[in-house]
Amino acid sequence: MTFDVEIVRWHAVASWTWNAGDDVCGICRMPFDGCPPDGKYPGDDSPVVWGVCGHAFHLQCIQKWLQSQAQTDQRCPFCRRAWEFKAAAPSS
Amino acid sequence: MDAGRIQKELKEIERDKKSGVSVQLNGDNIHRLTGFLEGPKDTAYQGGYFVVDIKLEDQYPFVPPKMRFRTKVWHPNISSANGAICLDILKDQWSPALTLKTALLSLQALLASPEPDDPQDGVVASQYIKNQPLFQRTARQWTEQYATRELASQDDEKVLSITSMGFPREMALTALESTHGDVNAAINKLLESC
Repeated sequence: MTFDVEIVRWHAVASWTWNAGDDVCGICRMPFDGCPPDGKYPGDDSPVVWGVCGHAFHLQCIQKWLQSQAQTDQRCPFCRRAWEFKAAAPSS
Repeated sequence: MDAGRIQKELKEIERDKKSGVSVQLNGDNIHRLTGFLEGPKDTAYQGGYFVVDIKLEDQYPFVPPKMRFRTKVWHPNISSANGAICLDILKDQWSPALTLKTALLSLQALLASPEPDDPQDGVVASQYIKNQPLFQRTARQWTEQYATRELASQDDEKVLSITSMGFPREMALTALESTHGDVNAAINKLLESC
């Protein structure tokens, strides 16, 4: 048996998440999918960044921390290794 | 000031009853907290209950919390006069990934393993190095005499006796601090400044 169906309208729903493992930022303790204290909107307005050491933070949070430290002594808040932004993985 | 993070920290500390550390809010002021920690086992501080003044600046957690022992402690890295603490993570080794809880746990660890080569109190440090048995005796005696729950709650009663007159809790704490715990002098001071 087959139905002869005509689609009148449809409503798509998508979900997204930062692929950041740990679910909260170690600096502001807010979820990666949420906003840091100064962020207004989740997502592109509150991006998540990684260091080469593998630790992730909200961009705003890690920037605030690095700005408060001497230029010559910028370290990851978790492992204290020298902080270096990891290049974004090429999108597939 | 990231109030959201502080609220989260306080909830997390409250949830964990086993760590031996706790934090209390002083009224609505999140810049000024009181920490409590139990002395570590198998040390001269075992059985003691220590009160720590905590001050948070607006830049917290990007700057360390200011911590000072309100309870008198005999320890090479803690001033026997004013409770000032010499601990790297409360200074240049602070990281915003640390919290009030991890800082209080570090104080507990500091009580368990003094660093006499980097002293805050020179007299205590030299006693620690030259006369270990006397150091242990003195530290234990101070713990028994000062680090008691009774004194901690008496301390709280002093604050309450001032707040019951209508002064905010943080003003009461500041006044008591400046008069070294003398309630009447603290009240006079507050009344003079009115």
